[in-house]
Amino acid sequence: MLKLAWKYMRYYKSQTFAIFASILLTASLLSGISSLIYSSQKSDLANSKTIYGDWHYYIETDKELFNSVESGEKGKGYTLEQCGKMEIRDVVAEEFMICFIHADETYRQMAHRDLLEGTFPEKENEIAADGFVLSNLGFSGNLGDSLRIGEKEYIVTGVLKSEWAASSSEMEVFVSDSFKGRGSQTFLYLSFNEDEKLYKQLDAFLQEHKLSSESVAENDEVIQYLGGEAPSSISEIVKFGLFEEEGNFTYIVLKLQSDYNLAYNGMIFLLCLFSLFVVYSVFSISVSKRTSEYGILQTLGISEAQIGGTLLLELWTLFFIGYPLGCLLGNGVLSLMYQKFSGVFGGKGISGAGNGLSVADHTLAEGENTVEFFVSKEAVVFGFVFLLISLALVAFLVVRSMRKDSLKTVMSGDTSFVKRRKIYAMRNVNMANVVVRKFMFANKRKVIGILLSLSIGGCIFLCTTYMVENLKVHAELSLISDDGLGSEYRISLKSDSLKDTIPEAVADKIKNMPETENVYATKYTMGELQISKNEFLSEEEWSDYFKYQNQEPYYIQRYDGICKQQEDGNYRIKYNVYGYDEAMIEQLRDFILEGEIQPETIKNNNQVIVTANMDGQGNYFFYGKKPGDTITLRVPKTENYTDELLKFQSGEENYIEKEFEIAAIVNRPLAQEKDFLNTEVWKNAQSVIMTGEQMEENFGITDYSFINASPADSADAKIVSNQLLQVIRDVPKAVLQDYTTAIATQKGYLGQQQIFFSSIAVILLIISLFHIVNSMSHTILTRRREYGIIRAIGITDGGFYKMILQTGILYGLLADVFIYLIYNRVLRRVMNYYLAHVLQFLHYTTNIPNLVLNGIMVLNVVIAVVAVMFPAWKMGKENIISEIRR
Amino acid sequence: MSILELRNVEKIYGEKDNQVKALRNINLKVEEGEFVAIVGTSGSGKSTCLNLIGGLDNPTSGQIFIKNKEIGSLSRKELTIFRRRNIGFVFQNYSLMPVLNVYDNVALPVTFDCGKHINRKYIEELLRELGIWEKRKKYPNELSGGQQQRVAIARALANKPSILLCDEPTGNLDSATTIEVMGLLKTSCRKYNQTILMVTHNEAIAQTCDRVIHIEDGQIVTGKRRFPAKGGDVVC
Repeated sequence: MLKLAWKYMRYYKSQTFAIFASILLTASLLSGISSLIYSSQKSDLANSKTIYGDWHYYIETDKELFNSVESGEKGKGYTLEQCGKMEIRDVVAEEFMICFIHADETYRQMAHRDLLEGTFPEKENEIAADGFVLSNLGFSGNLGDSLRIGEKEYIVTGVLKSEWAASSSEMEVFVSDSFKGRGSQTFLYLSFNEDEKLYKQLDAFLQEHKLSSESVAENDEVIQYLGGEAPSSISEIVKFGLFEEEGNFTYIVLKLQSDYNLAYNGMIFLLCLFSLFVVYSVFSISVSKRTSEYGILQTLGISEAQIGGTLLLELWTLFFIGYPLGCLLGNGVLSLMYQKFSGVFGGKGISGAGNGLSVADHTLAEGENTVEFFVSKEAVVFGFVFLLISLALVAFLVVRSMRKDSLKTVMSGDTSFVKRRKIYAMRNVNMANVVVRKFMFANKRKVIGILLSLSIGGCIFLCTTYMVENLKVHAELSLISDDGLGSEYRISLKSDSLKDTIPEAVADKIKNMPETENVYATKYTMGELQISKNEFLSEEEWSDYFKYQNQEPYYIQRYDGICKQQEDGNYRIKYNVYGYDEAMIEQLRDFILEGEIQPETIKNNNQVIVTANMDGQGNYFFYGKKPGDTITLRVPKTENYTDELLKFQSGEENYIEKEFEIAAIVNRPLAQEKDFLNTEVWKNAQSVIMTGEQMEENFGITDYSFINASPADSADAKIVSNQLLQVIRDVPKAVLQDYTTAIATQKGYLGQQQIFFSSIAVILLIISLFHIVNSMSHTILTRRREYGIIRAIGITDGGFYKMILQTGILYGLLADVFIYLIYNRVLRRVMNYYLAHVLQFLHYTTNIPNLVLNGIMVLNVVIAVVAVMFPAWKMGKENIISEIRR
Repeated sequence: MSILELRNVEKIYGEKDNQVKALRNINLKVEEGEFVAIVGTSGSGKSTCLNLIGGLDNPTSGQIFIKNKEIGSLSRKELTIFRRRNIGFVFQNYSLMPVLNVYDNVALPVTFDCGKHINRKYIEELLRELGIWEKRKKYPNELSGGQQQRVAIARALANKPSILLCDEPTGNLDSATTIEVMGLLKTSCRKYNQTILMVTHNEAIAQTCDRVIHIEDGQIVTGKRRFPAKGGDVVC
């Protein structure tokens, strides 16, 4: 059998090459892309460790356990590789929230709080902190100088590396063991062996130390790739998604993503299927050319099993050579590209809603980790086993398909076509056209198969382009809205009190600086929206929307909860209220879900823009209200303001209540206040937006809460930064954040992402084109004898080529129709769903450029024509007699 | 008046050491309306000769005249048009289009020449004459060998060619059908005043024709046939 297989491979060289090439290309694509995703996730993990700390869980514990647990501890079912110890010894709330921390070396390593300068504190009155904290506390910059925190003076002995979690409103100051504070809270930071499932090790640790799982906090972003939580079974997930009231398809996708790393494993599986499709298709075409020979072999007494064995040996031989070479090729090429496109794979570019890392955090963290390429061994092995077994199945299917026909039929080739009892020549028709159509549509199943395979490459390319186009817009919108990265500078207040503001004069000064442009000053207050019970409960699934925020102790303590039902049954919900610059209001148009935004009309008619609530699956809801409806908003008066007013429980005389018409509903605000409702995981909190003038007219607010600005074209970024610091020096609690490098880096990443994804799409297109050329040339060559007969009975060369050209054009056009229908009717809808609900893109309506769409359509026709004309040209050169005798 | 003339026609396949002389110095004249059988053993060159006459292959040297036109002087396109207007082919394996029914198979060559204008009356007459009118909607694989060969003959006659070239037209048929097909060919030869050249290896069938030409080793054998045999040539 091996000899026969080898003989076949050598005799049908071009077909052997086609199968080999398909295995090589698909293996390189499969292993390469999987390695990219794997490396990207590894890099993301490294970045998350940089940002959130290199630990898995922390536990607040008593002193005894705190002292007894050590790094390297091994228990039944767990290996505690690292154990960091941190103790909060005191807290000062004024002017910033400052924690006095005593920590061991392991904790400092885990939290990346390395010493940059000086020494760690040793005496009671000595401290060390990071540059951000020290500068905001007014540190002179010289080690050994003293600093006042609360009521005490401290000597600064060292400068530490800054912490990444920029959202934290707390500042950490490190003290020595001799520091005696007013209290003591002890925490153990645990890092287990990452080669084993973390959740199992944690359970074992808790059991051994008799701890409750409620005392554990997880480092979610780090443990998500390491099996930090026990996964639900797939059948349970699917069952819940399909049959439970709260479940839906998005739930299944998101749950599979969180529990089983769907993006990675799903992609490996899809690529395996794609590979199998291409290899099967190329192989079955190659085999169909020698179906009659297999028929002859059968007449000679060779069993089906032996023929199947020959086919399998042929496939496996090519597979054993092609697959490893493909893996080497794919991983080799992509590992070279990896360094160049670090922004695409480092997990630093803008993704969907995803992992909670802010764009700024990502960008800042990137310098920390060198981008490494990891070969996904799992994908290589899975792909190998999957394809090995599938190819055996392919050989079986091919033999089975031969069994369906009698030996005589197998020997005489394909005679299966629809026999319509219609005489075409009875009418005035061009019989050459009839023959073309008959050749093409003789077997409908086959023609649909060919057209589907012709359109698959185009569809993949269009889907990728659609994704890239929308990613581009989403990334641009995210840059503007998430972190204020639309502007290079952000001046804000490190405060969560409405008392602290940036005076109008300071804002004017910044606006008038020649070195700045696009200065957007934003006014802020907190408000309370009144929503009737019917409106609030208009859609049942949203009734729990504020459940977790309401349970948050910080919100309860400061604001008496976020959403409260009143005695009359109505609801009152805390809202951010922004007064935007008109230019910013205009920019909100990109975020519109419903309604229209005309800054002039909004100002003149005293309308507002509201943000809709968004669930974890990308659905939006604004209490059933539409543009044109009204809302009632209550905000605290500025006179006699105290933070207590933010609970909205004081007398009515302390508040201003107004009714506003909704102009538009948007999915996100632009620049946001980060210290009131947008703390911790609650980003993009509920907001009402109006113009700055309206804020003044309605609520008497004249000062600003934060300012975004960009440097003028010719301005030196460093000088602008210094000038801004000078301007805000006298504004209490004002801080400047410089995003210049972050923006430049992000834009670079975005460019890289687009180039990379487009390149992948092009590679997929090339593989598909290879496949198209192969199938098209096959469809022509199977009719070799018939074309020979036509030539013998008198068609001219011109007429013959015209027939073939017509076939090519018809195939191309039909494939175009298929692409158009499949892409527009099916794939785009699926993509929209995926972009909106799974990736939670802000924007998913950008169409692919007409040039790309038309280009693909034209390319399809051109490729189909080239693919048929080449074999036709070869046939034309052949002797008619030898063609007929085939 | 001769309708076909071959002058010193030679056909060599392959090059140098692999050269095979398929035809050597063939000189032949065929009169209009004549039914000629070309007989020879397998590999003698009779089919090659027929293919050269039909313009499906080119001679290495020599000239072929059909209706006083030297076909070697024609361009590829002119030759194709000349062939479809003047020559009809009937092959041993019928060479029908499997995706077309009987009627469309027969009408196909007409459309190459006349566009959409088909003389349907003539095609009907042909099909009735050949006894396959009832089968006009059938596809080739639904017909018997004899029926398929009739369709092939009808197709060859559809353009009313001056010469019909038949390459072993009865090679795949049983004896009864062979007699039928031969009868049909003779009838059409007489009725449409057509010249027929038929290649066969069956001497008995050949004897029913107006003239028999023997080809051996690429040459026309005149007079008695000689077969190489042990102890000297045998003369039949």
